[in-house]
Amino acid sequence: MRKNERECPELTDRELIGRGVKGDEVALGVLVRRHQAAAYRVALSLMQGDDMARDVVQDSFLKAFRALDRFRGDASFRTWLLTITANEARGALRRQARRNETAFEEAGVVRSEKMAPDETALVALEADRARTMMENLPEKQRLSLSLRIEEGLSFREIGRVIGSSEGAARANYFHAIRRLRELMK
Amino acid sequence: MSSENCAIVRELIPEFVINRLGEDELGLVESHISDCFACREEFELVERIFASRPEVPGNLEESVTRVVIDDLKFSFYRWQWQALSAAAIAALALGIGISLDSPRNAAHNVPDFAYEVEEGDIWLTDDALVAGAPSFDNLSDETLADLIEELSVVTSGGTA
Ligand SMILES: [Zn+2]
Repeated sequence: MRKNERECPELTDRELIGRGVKGDEVALGVLVRRHQAAAYRVALSLMQGDDMARDVVQDSFLKAFRALDRFRGDASFRTWLLTITANEARGALRRQARRNETAFEEAGVVRSEKMAPDETALVALEADRARTMMENLPEKQRLSLSLRIEEGLSFREIGRVIGSSEGAARANYFHAIRRLRELMK
Repeated sequence: MSSENCAIVRELIPEFVINRLGEDELGLVESHISDCFACREEFELVERIFASRPEVPGNLEESVTRVVIDDLKFSFYRWQWQALSAAAIAALALGIGISLDSPRNAAHNVPDFAYEVEEGDIWLTDDALVAGAPSFDNLSDETLADLIEELSVVTSGGTA
């Protein structure tokens, strides 16, 4: 009898992967549940369009799961998945840009519509302002900020995802923080 | 205000915002940001970024799971086939007296469903090409450490 993980949340990712490789669908479903939000935010951080981000998340899980039997335990599953997601997002953007030269401008329009500020709350307004400014940062800075603050990754893990050293990830993060603080004044 | 504490606190601010600090660190951050204007300002910024993180569509989990599980049914057979193929090749090789260097050889011949992240090929538009965007990738750890210190001084000192 297979246990439903909703009842045994204590299983680690590694244990779930072990089960998933043997064809355990429930285990794979739990991995999706645990990591889909982070993957979605990473995709969105790079591409800004909801539909594209959804496709990227789906493709990233497909690729990760197809290679699950070759997953090496030297990084966490989450870091590995987010690295694939960042790579997939960039590939999708590249393909779209090839099809349509104005793709990036359109993404910019989607972005500002999505961020319509809440007219009542000043705090929410400031949060939206920070978000809008964040979206105009260079990719590595933006993603370092997002991975550190929204996903709680260490700089070492961020370095893996963005293909940089731990020190470079830290520099990207603090540079982004400084830039935003200047802009928010 | 000890700038040493500023450096420690700035590292901890994201965990502080998502409420993941232990008692000692929590106390340190709380008392520090109540006295240090620069760190408090940074805390408020990080809090805003966290508060405005994008919402995840409610049906994403379900649709991804469905697609992934459908695909798994194929993948699972491919895994089995790969294992069988490797075993068959090894048996054949033994039978005709060839030694294989490693059982992994067979796996290398199986195309297209293994995924390797190609390091260094992830960021095709280098941030260095974006106007005003510094690239930190080619700097030594020592240079980066100096730079991070400098970033911290400029931020705390409010010279901008
Ligand atoms: Zn301080």
